[in-house]
Order: sequence, then structure tokens, then C-alpha cells
Amino acid sequence: MSAPHAAGYLLVRRAGGVWGIANEAVSGLARDGRGYRLTVGGDVVVAADEILGVVTGLRVIPAAPALRRFWPESPAGMAVHGGLPVVVVDPLRVPAALRWNEGEDA
Amino acid sequence: MEQKAERKTRREGTHLLVRAGEYSCALPLAAVRRVVRALTVHPLPGAAGELEGLAEFGGEPLPVLNLARLVNASPGANPSYPVTVVVWVGPVEGREMIGFTADAALEVVHVPPESIVAASDGGFLQGEAPVGGEVVRILNLDALGR
Repeated sequence: MSAPHAAGYLLVRRAGGVWGIANEAVSGLARDGRGYRLTVGGDVVVAADEILGVVTGLRVIPAAPALRRFWPESPAGMAVHGGLPVVVVDPLRVPAALRWNEGEDA
Repeated sequence: MEQKAERKTRREGTHLLVRAGEYSCALPLAAVRRVVRALTVHPLPGAAGELEGLAEFGGEPLPVLNLARLVNASPGANPSYPVTVVVWVGPVEGREMIGFTADAALEVVHVPPESIVAASDGGFLQGEAPVGGEVVRILNLDALGR
């Protein structure tokens, strides 16, 4: 299994965790109430509570089988940044917890 | 030759005993990398109850499983010194590191293979065995990494 490689990742906080989205997959970012709305992978709208910044050189490893066994989502991988675990998002399979819902104040 | 085989069997039968809710569970000692004070775990929304979330360990992301939930143990009293047991799971050629939250690390014990009564489901539980007057659950860590 190969891990994704990207020039940089946008790190956001959402639902108590830190998520990484490949820079090139992000086509829009706007303030929305107390949070942010991002357009990812062309048409998926993602909600974020906080934008932590952009990092380069994130070492992404494939999601462990134990993770996939107990979590129905399909992340692109896992990483650590600043001592915090990061779930690296597959722009084509954005986890439900990240998706912006109509009428939601992010 | 015979002594060598005996040593190998003894090594394979050596387990770390940990408390997980109402049960004691035995983890093959060769697979245990570290026992640390309970790591801070970041939950993954939508995950099954067995998966507490992700933690950071040694600069690496670490999926952390709740051992009591994994073996269907009722939760015990609030542990005074909860731990995360970092273990290797899966086959040697593709092993991965995961953490188990447990109420306490108890002791290292020898569980003779012939004393293990195999579990019927063939899942994460290899079986049960009597250890020091108590029946303990023996985990099959290979099955977790598959």
C-alpha cells in the first residue's frame, strides 16, 4: 500500500481531532460563522473549527489495519505533527465528521 | 536441541498480564513494546467502541484500542494507574504498532500452551487459561493486524 505524497498539507481541527488535507486538493476556503468552510476535491464542502496552518514534509504512513477494522472511514493515511496525531484525508472519500452540513454553523 | 526447543516454547508462553475491566488478559510478551502511563487519545468520530482513537507515541501515530471493550469485559472501578500497552500486531512481514488501554499492568506470567482452552470464535481471543487461580483471556495479536 502506498502512502500519499503532497507538497504540503492544510491542517485543520474538527470534532476534537486534527486532520490533514493535501494542499492541491483544496480549491476554496471561506470564513463561516465561528469556523471555516473548505472546498475539497472540487465539490466536497468541509467544515473546520480551526485552521492550524500548512505544513510541508509531513511523513504520512498508511492507515493501520486495526484502524480500518474499527473505523468505517477510508483515510489516506496517518501522521504526527507537533506531537499530535493527524488523520490525512483522502479528498475523494472525506470522512462524515468533516463534511459540512447545510444550515450548519461551522 | 531439546533444551533449545524447550526455551523457545517457554518464550512463546511468556505473557504480560494486564487488567481490563473485570477480566485479566494475557498479551504475548514478545509482542509488547512498551507499557506507558495512559496516552492522550484523540477520538475518531464514528469509530466502533473498541477503537478509542489515535495517539502519538515516539513520534508515530498510534491507533489505540480499548482492551476491555475488545474482550467484552464489564468496566471495572476507576483505575488508579491506567496504562497504554504498546504492542506489535499482525504477521512479522507486515506488523504494525497499536496501543491497548488497560486498567493496570499486573505481572509477567508463563502460560503453557497446553493449558489454553481455545476460543470458539477464532477471533482476537486465542482462548482462556488458568493463571494463579484465575481464568485469564489470552489474546491473539496476529488476528488483530489482519
